[in-house]
This record gives sequence, structure tokens and C-alpha cells, in this order.
Amino acid sequence: MKLFSKRAVASALFAGLGISGTATADCGSSDPIVIPTHNWSSQIVMSHVVGQLFEKIGCNVEYTSTDSQAVYEAVRIGDATIELEVWEGSFATSFNTALDKGGILDAGTHDAVTREEWWYPTYVEEHCPGLPDWEALAACAEMFARPDSGGKGVYVDGPVEWLHDPARIEALGMNFIQINVGGAAALWAELEAAAKQNKPIVMFNWSPNFTDALYGGSFIEFPAFDEKCKTDASWGINPDATNDCGSPAGGYLKKAAWYMMPVTWPAAYKALTRINFTTNHVGTMAMFVDVEEMEHDEAATRWIEENEDVWSPWLYASQ
Amino acid sequence: MSEPVIRCRSLYKIFGLNPADLRIDGDGVVEPSILEREGTVTAVDNVNLDVSPGELLIVMGLSGSGKSTLVRCLSRLIEPTSGSVEIEGMNLLGMGDRELIDLRRSKMGMVFQNFALLPHRTALENIAFPLQMRGMKRRDYVERARRMIALVGLEGRENNFPRELSGGQQQRVGIARSLAVEPDIWFLDEPFSALDPLIRKEMQDEFLRLQSLLNKTIVFITHDFDEALKLADRIAIMFNGRIEQIGRPEDIVLNPATDYVSRFTSDVPREKVLRVGSVMNPPSEGEEVADRAVDVTDRVENVVEYVLGQRLPVPVVDSGDTVVGVMHQAHVLKVLFPSRSEPA
Amino acid sequence: MKGYAWLGALVLALLLAKSAGLLPAFLDELPLHLEKSSIDTLGDAGKEAYTELVPFGLILDHTFEFMREELGVSLVTRFVSKRLKELIDIFDNILRGGRKGLGLSAPPWTALLVIAFILGYSLKGWRLALLSGGTVMYFAIFGLWKFAMETLALLAAAVPISIIIGLLVGIVAYRKKWLELALLPILSVAQTLPHFAYLIPVVVFFGIGHQTGVIATIIFAVPPMVRLTLLGLQRVAPEIVEAGKMSGCTNLQLLFRVQLPSARNELLLGVNQVIMQCLAMVVIAAFIGASGLGYRLLHKLQSLKLGQSLEIGVAIVLLAVVLDGLSRAWAEKKRDYAADLPFHRRFRYPILLVVMVAAAYLLAPYFPILEKVPRDLTVTYAKTWDGLVDWIVLNWSDGLTNFRYFLIVNVLAPLRDALLYMPYPSVLLLVAGLGLLLGGYYSALLTLAFLVFIGLAGWWDRAMITAYMVVFATFICIVIGIPVGIFSALSERRAKTALFWCDTFQTFPSFIYILPVIMLFQVNDLSAIMAVIVYAIIPAVRYTVEGIRSIAPELEEAATMAGCNTRQRLVHLQLPVAIPHIMLGVNQTIMFAFSMVIIAAFVGTIDLGQQIFKALSETNIGKGVVLGLCVSFMALAVDHLVTRWARERRRLLGLD
Repeated sequence: MKLFSKRAVASALFAGLGISGTATADCGSSDPIVIPTHNWSSQIVMSHVVGQLFEKIGCNVEYTSTDSQAVYEAVRIGDATIELEVWEGSFATSFNTALDKGGILDAGTHDAVTREEWWYPTYVEEHCPGLPDWEALAACAEMFARPDSGGKGVYVDGPVEWLHDPARIEALGMNFIQINVGGAAALWAELEAAAKQNKPIVMFNWSPNFTDALYGGSFIEFPAFDEKCKTDASWGINPDATNDCGSPAGGYLKKAAWYMMPVTWPAAYKALTRINFTTNHVGTMAMFVDVEEMEHDEAATRWIEENEDVWSPWLYASQ
Repeated sequence: MSEPVIRCRSLYKIFGLNPADLRIDGDGVVEPSILEREGTVTAVDNVNLDVSPGELLIVMGLSGSGKSTLVRCLSRLIEPTSGSVEIEGMNLLGMGDRELIDLRRSKMGMVFQNFALLPHRTALENIAFPLQMRGMKRRDYVERARRMIALVGLEGRENNFPRELSGGQQQRVGIARSLAVEPDIWFLDEPFSALDPLIRKEMQDEFLRLQSLLNKTIVFITHDFDEALKLADRIAIMFNGRIEQIGRPEDIVLNPATDYVSRFTSDVPREKVLRVGSVMNPPSEGEEVADRAVDVTDRVENVVEYVLGQRLPVPVVDSGDTVVGVMHQAHVLKVLFPSRSEPA
Repeated sequence: MKGYAWLGALVLALLLAKSAGLLPAFLDELPLHLEKSSIDTLGDAGKEAYTELVPFGLILDHTFEFMREELGVSLVTRFVSKRLKELIDIFDNILRGGRKGLGLSAPPWTALLVIAFILGYSLKGWRLALLSGGTVMYFAIFGLWKFAMETLALLAAAVPISIIIGLLVGIVAYRKKWLELALLPILSVAQTLPHFAYLIPVVVFFGIGHQTGVIATIIFAVPPMVRLTLLGLQRVAPEIVEAGKMSGCTNLQLLFRVQLPSARNELLLGVNQVIMQCLAMVVIAAFIGASGLGYRLLHKLQSLKLGQSLEIGVAIVLLAVVLDGLSRAWAEKKRDYAADLPFHRRFRYPILLVVMVAAAYLLAPYFPILEKVPRDLTVTYAKTWDGLVDWIVLNWSDGLTNFRYFLIVNVLAPLRDALLYMPYPSVLLLVAGLGLLLGGYYSALLTLAFLVFIGLAGWWDRAMITAYMVVFATFICIVIGIPVGIFSALSERRAKTALFWCDTFQTFPSFIYILPVIMLFQVNDLSAIMAVIVYAIIPAVRYTVEGIRSIAPELEEAATMAGCNTRQRLVHLQLPVAIPHIMLGVNQTIMFAFSMVIIAAFVGTIDLGQQIFKALSETNIGKGVVLGLCVSFMALAVDHLVTRWARERRRLLGLD
């Protein structure tokens, strides 16, 4: 019976029979809201912030770490209840697939703007003046070469499963190859080693991220993104190829929820739709952990303490 | 003599034989062609045996002769292919699991060649094991096991694990364990074969001491003829799964039934086997004899020196001190040097 | 040997035909995918779609789908998952409080400290007491308490469940021959299937979260327990079983009081293996949501906190060493039947334990430090370690550049290109020939079947890349590992030290040294191979040491009496006699290399491992399992050939 309790409670609510006996006064259900955490700091802190906020309105919360791509399937079937950081660049595909299959809700967009793009730490500008322009980078290709790249510049990309399009290099005629690391940690290892030795590196990165504070840096400015760039070969500087442009510069950062959440935890869902972090908030959360070395939950508590004016309307505003 | 404790008839163990192919005649004898079938090994071949209460029967044979299989059929550790085994008149082969377990818990004990001690249990715990299986209370089994420890002279070793004991000590534990349930029937499967010669002798003496105290019905397996002669009431000699001859040690040495047995016995030091009674002359009136008599049950080896040292023949007496015969020096010499006397 | 010349000739003919451009395409490449590559196109290799000749992946997908939806397996798995979660919550609650589980409050850390200490002391004495107590201290002082307790809760569920399942399956397989026959190949595959290939079906059937990590851990830890249970029961001397029967045992008594206890050494080894496998999974299970030290470690690695990662790695190793030590000591503990002690003596440790734990609880409210080590009192040497890594990177990188350049351009790239150049029939022929040589037709067919599967599944080129990394890594492991092993084996003390480090490194989470390797060598095959070598060299050293140290003393004496000097002894006695064992070590090295090369995809490779990671992320169950099987089959083919050879050799030397 317990196996089906979520469904049972939900259908009871649907039928207008009122709140079941196990539900707490405010939250709607005593079943835990499962908040998935991934392997970057801002997302974990944000998850804890939201979790602690949910607890303030009487919800039970559980954190579980998951893969950041696999999580959409998990939300769709209810293994996880929400997802707080849906990055347009990396996760739009998985998110949209899940939306199409059904079972997942788009719970609104944060003010925070995200960007995922070729990136370099600030000191690289000394080696290759003219950055962040992509043509300047293309001209410097040789200094990014490696023994195994056959004289071409190397762009250190994220793991293959992040689904970036390698066609851009070819479309823009750059003398580069891309290599895929196996995980984000390998990216930072590359970055750290290059920075220590003051060697040029261009790699995949995103913002907001902890690297902003540690290394400084900029994204390469490619020809601006346009929908047509992906589909229409004639668009853009290479008339014969698609993908002759950069990634979207102002990508969205969305929230997602399991489709039963509005029924099972109505109060929490209402709060979720109002929750809205800015780029600054995200950066601060990441900094607490990555620079000040706080624990995730402590960082979350601290953020909540320092930002009551921000979050109290999310929870308590009358609608 | 009373009813035999163990009685087996037409006992067969044929490995690798499909039971459906078995053909037996009215006397329980398996059709000979079956024994020669490809892929089968006949380990026990038409064995008939009676063991009387208190008797020490030695089953003797070289390795592969089927003696170990035989004893396992008698204890039903191995299921015989056909034939019957009765233990105190009960049909062993017809017993269900429960009865068989009860029988082993109360009537049978067994000692193994490689001791077969449970490595995770101390000496005391090993000895107490069959008692625990019987569901005896802790206080009782510890008490009984201690008595067994004392019986086999292992005081002070109670808490040693088998690996901490010497071979002889381990086998003492094995013996104590097999005796813990106070069985009537005692199977010993080459108990001393894995031991050094000196220890083996010591254990044989120990075994005789125990047997004189306990008077069990014993089936004792060995491949060592000296050992058999030293211990046996009767010896059964096995060859290729068959019992070639069964009888008292003297009978076997003096009257080997088959070539195999005679080859076996040809090198046996006869003075160790033969007793005074089987080589002496009947007493003859008026013969002048030595002062001191020898016992009729003495082995020849024990009286050689004395008899040869006398000028006169030596009188032989029984347990009642009645003179039952005389022993000449020639008797002794004939025992000691049989080949020289035979051509004559 | 001569009989196989035609095979060699055929291979040569294929190669010549290809170089002359005469080889028809269907004999050259399987109809797929990886652009033939000099290394400079390596980067683009990730993008091609894979084409299968036989759609194994699809078949598996449908099978799993059918099981999940039609057979209702997912109802069962979800139920198991839920119950397991409740169980873990209880352990978790006992260890670190919170609202889940039984709703108990967290015990003071000192309570655990005294438990660990007294347990260690009562089981083995001061050394173990200090080790286990010290480990608890380490958790507290290095600020890892919460994570260590989560991991401990995970282990508290996973280890006993794995042992019980392993025992049960092993026992049934012992009694039912058909099950044993069915199990053996499954176990072989299970033990060579890359960890990450397991995770996908586990996620699909059990969902995400902590308990799923536990389930993956259990699935991973059960096979060695099954194998060792079976082996242990089969090895019990028949006489001992007979002794049990003659003691009047019922079947159950026989099993539990005679056979299982007598199989103790194997079972203990099994328990030991379970603990080690569970700890090895601590990090990997974190990929699908297991929390605790592994999760913490991954997260720290993700933000390149190498020093902190190292401290977590040390915590995992310590945990492994302590659990191993405690379980061994417990198993070796003997009861004293003779001593008729009064109550307070007989139960002195439990009493002491209760008193001390009570004291910890009573005192904790007055001395908060006994309750929880405050964060400002925790220490870390992370900065020092980070500094060390930085120093190495700064000072060694330049020096290593030439070395790196040389290896990549002159060794690795040609090797890889050569393997990819070879027409697939020539590889098949070579492997089949090797099988024929070492084990006859059966071996040839078996190994061939393994490789044919890979070809049909459409992963031939990727598999060749995996193979080339394994081959090269194994070569280096042999070149370094065996001499190190020989050197270590020359004295008892050195041998012990070497074995100690082997144990330690085997439990040390490999993810940690992947990052410094990347910092030194950058993201390329060389880094992946280096990471593989660090891990796979362990068995090469271990087996060499064991092989030489276990030579019968009479043989050593004979060599001494023959007037051998150290070198002669080594060349003429120790190596020839130890070589079958050393070959088993080489075999293990290859197995370790296959397992690690997949984990090294974490660096960034373009082999099967990369695709397994990708399949995991896509939750693509069929693809993941097929890829896993490809790795497993390659490993099994090698394993079959090497063990075959070693067995034959041992037989010839009369060592069995």
C-alpha cells in the first residue's frame, strides 16, 4: 500500500476529499520533497536553500545526488520532485525531451542569465592579444597546439555527453580540434595546470561558476547565436555550413517540477514558481563553498540569513 | 556366541552404475557382466561379514582394495548398490534420515585417517560436537567432553585448536570425539596411517588400552599388516573389492587361502603372529622339562629368548596353570626360519 | 609451433593486401564509424553514430522494457528500493541522528570513539584499538564526520546483505549442479563488467538516490562472495563432512556447523572481498546518488580541491583497513571454554562498553567537544597537499614535456594506428591462433566468439582503442611491477612492506590520482594510461612477491647447497618456479587495467569507456550493457588464455 501512497494521496486530493491524515498543515503532504543535487557547488547550495525554505513551511525534504542529465527522467517519473538549475546550453535538450514525454512541469525561469561557451582565463589575453574575438583566437591557434594535435590548436571541451556541437570549428574554418574530457573535474585540472604554468588554454566553461572568482576570464565572442544558424546553411559568415555561430549568450536558467507536485505539495509548488535567483545570488552561493570553504548546508543557511528580504515574498506573499 | 552386532550380506558398491541397470539373482549376487561394464568401478564386491559384540575386526588391504568404501557402506556414509546391512538386527539400509541420524548419535563412532577435526573448534569443542548435535545441555556436554579428554590423556589441551596440536594429539581428539556418544560400534578408518612410526606405535598401545577398558565392537581399517596382526581378533583381507580371507591372524599366516594372501603373508615375521599354542607339541608323559613355564597365549617372539636359552623343552600352561603342551627349541627355530625347514 | 605458420602467413597476406590496396573493403573494416585516425582527428571521433550489425542494444532495451513494464519487475525493484531505503534510514539515524529512521538523536562522536576502541581492543589488542579508534578520530578531526557516518550506514546495509545473498546463492549452487553451471559464466561476466555499465540498469530499475547506490554496491559485491562460498564448500575435505554425518548431524546442522565453518578461510576471504568491493564502490556509487564520503570526494574533485580529496581518500582507505582488521579479528577470536569465569569477567568488554558509552552520553551535554568536534577545531592539511601538487606541476611539467611528446608521437600514436590499421580478420586470426596454441580448439572458438560479439555489436574500433591502452599499460606494469616485486621479495621485511602498500593502494580511490596525472600530462591517452598503470601495477607486484616468497624452502635450500649466488638463485630457481603465479599476477594486471581503463574515461578518452559514461548519462540501458559486455568479453578472452597457460605450466612444474 505504501508503494502507492503518493498516488493515493494525490487522487484523494483530486477528488476533493480534503487533506489526508498524514499531511502537515502547510505543506500538503508529509512525503518528502526529493531535491536532486549535482556536482557543482551553486546547484547544491541552491538546492539546500530551497530545501530549507520548504522546511520553513513545514515540508519534509530529502536531498539525493544525481547525474545532471539523467535527472530529467527522474523528475518525470517522480523519483525526484524538482530541478532548480536547468541550464539552457547543456540541459535544454534533455529537458525538452522530458517535457515532450510528459510528467515534468516548467516551473518558471530565474533572472540569472547563464552562458556556456568557449572560455579562457584572463592571463591568456597576454599571450593572444585581440581576445575575446574568435578571429583573434583562430589566428593564435598554434600556441594552443599540443604534441598530439598535429599542429592544430586544442579546444578542451566538456564530456561528450554534454552534447556540444563540434561542427562549429569546421564551419568557422578554425585551425583547431576539440578534445573531450571525461568529466568536469578534468576541465579544472587542465585549467589549474595551465594557469600555474601561465600557458595558454581555451576550454569549455560556464557562468556563473567558481572559476570566475578564482581565475577571472572571458568567453570567446563568436558570431552571435541565431536560430537560423542551426538550420540554415546560408545564414552567417560561412554560406555553406550551419553552426557558424556561438552558443546563446543569455541562456535561460529554469526550474522544473514533477507534474504531481502542485497537487501533493501545493504550498511548496507555489513557492517554487516564485523562487527566482539572480546571477549574483548564484555567484554568491558558489563562492561561499568554493572560495570560503563552507559546507553546502551552512552556506545555504548563511544565504537565507543574509537575504531574508529576497526569499520571504516567495514563501509568504499572499496571492 | 551371541548375535552379531554387524551383519552384512551380498554387499556391493558399484560406482558409476545406473541403478536401473542392476541385475541381481536370488542370493543377492550381482550378474558378473554388470561388474565389467564400461565406466563402472566395483569397490565392494559381494562382501559377507559378521562382527560379534566386543570383537575387533581388522579390514586389511592395499589402497584401492575397497576397504574404505566397505566401512563407509557399513556406516552408510556411502549408499551401497545392493545387499543388506544389519546393525544389531536393524536394517540399516531401510532406515530413513531421522532413524539413521539417531543411530549415529547413539550407536556409532568413527575415526578418520586425516583426523577430520573441525578446524574452527577447539579440542574440547570438537569432542563435544556429537553431543551438541544430540541437543545435550552445555553443562553436560562440557563435563562429558572433559572426561573424554582425560580418557585420551589430553588434559591441558582442551582449548587448543586442531592446528595447534601434533598429529598424534589430533588423532586423540578424533578418537575422543568418536567415543563421546559412548557408541557400541566403533569404526576406525586407517586411524594411525598419517602418523610417524613412533607415534603410531604409541597410539596403537593407547588404542589397545582403551579397548581393554571399553570393549567396543570395532571395525578397524588398515593397510599395515603389522598393525593388523598386533591389534586384531580377526582379520579380513580385501583385494579388488572382495574379501579374500577372513580369520584369526594365525590362521591367515599359517593357512593362506589364496595366492594373494600368501604373497601378503610371506614376509610376515611369524614370531610376531604365532602364539605358543599354535606351534607347541601336546604334553608327553615323563618328558623332562624346564622349571619355568610359558603361557599358551604368549606370542612366540616373547618367549624366543627364554626357550632357546634352555637346555630342556619348556612346558606350556594355560590361564589355569594347567600344563597343556611343551615347546621345543626346534619349534622356535621353525617359526623363525620357516624356509629352511620347509624343503626337508 | 610450425602447425600455426599458415595462420601467420594468412595474417601477413591480409596486411600486405591492404598495404597494396588490394584488400576488398569487407575484409578490411566492419561497416562503421570511427574515421581511421591519425591522432590529429582524435577530437572529432566522438561524434559518429554507431552502427550495429546485430542490434544487441535494441534487443536489450526491449528486453528490459518488457521486464519493467510487462513483467512488473519494476514494481518489485521499487519495493525493494523502498524497503532498503527504510533500512538505511534506520542505520543512518542511529549513526547521525536526524528525523529519518527511528527518530533518534545523534550519538556523541565520543561514543563511537569508545565503541571503536573497545571493539578493537577486545578483538585483537592495542594495535587494532588504536587503528580503529584513530580512524574515528580522523573522521571527527578532519571534518568528515557526517560523510563518514553516511558511508558507514551504507556499508552497514550493503555488507551484510551482500554476504547473505552471496552465501545463499553459493550454498544453493553447491547443492544444485545446474545452478553452478549456469552461474559460473554469469559470475565471470559480472566480475569483469565495468562498474559503470552496471549502474545504468540499476538506475532504470531502482531509480535514483542513496539506496540505488547501495543496490549497485550490493550487486557489485555479491559475485566474489558467491564464488568463494562455492569454492569453500567444495574444498571442505570429504572426511570432515563424513565426520559431521557420523556425529549425527541433520542436513542443516551439517551445513551450518560443519561445512560452512570448515569453509571458513574462503568465506572470510569472501567477507573481506565484500568489504573491499563495497569500499571500492563508495565513490562509483556516488555517480548515481549514493551519499557519504564518495559523494563528498566527487564533489571536491569537481572543484579541484585535491588536498581535501586526498584526505577523503585516506578516510576511505582507513575505513577499509579498519573494517578488514575488525572482521578478521572477529573471525579469529576463540572462545575459552575452560575458563569458568564470573559474570563480570566473562562480560568485561560489553560492560566496559556500556559504561563508557553511557559516560560519553552523560558527559557530552557538559563538555560540548565530546558531543561534536566543532568546525573551528577540525584540521586539514589540504593546503599542504595542494601546494605539493602545485610544486610538482610547476617543476616537473616542463621536464615531462619532451617525455610526453616522445611517448605520444613515437609510441602511442603508432601503436594505436597500427591496431586500427589491421584488417579485422587479421586480428581475429591472431587471437584464434593464440587460442589454438594455448588451449586447443575450445579456446580458439571461445576467444573468437568473444571478439565476434564485439564486431557484431559495432564497437570494433573503440574496442581496439581500449585494447591498445590496456596492452600498453600492461606492458609498462610488467616492466616496472615485476622487477619491483622481485626486489621486494628478496627479504621478508621488504615483502611485507610491499604487500602493505599493495593493500593500501588498492582501496585508495583511483579518481584522486587521475587529476594530478591530468595536470602533469594534460587530457590525452597518455594520462588515461598513466592512471591505469598506477592502479594495475598492484597485482603485478603483489603476485611476484607472493610467487617468490611461497617457493618451498627445500628448493631454496637445494639452491643454496648448489652454491647459487643471489642472481643465479633468481634466474635458475625463483623465477622459473614462480612464473605461473607471476603470470596470474599479469592476468590480474590485465583485468585491473580493463577495469581502470573505463574509469580513466574520466580523463577523457575516445574508447569504449567514453561511450559507457555517455550511455550512463543518457540512461541508455541497452547501449551501456552492450558496451560493458564488449569490455567484459575482451577481458574474459585474455583471462581465459592466460589462466590456461598458467595452469598448464603449473602442471608441468608439478606445483598443483
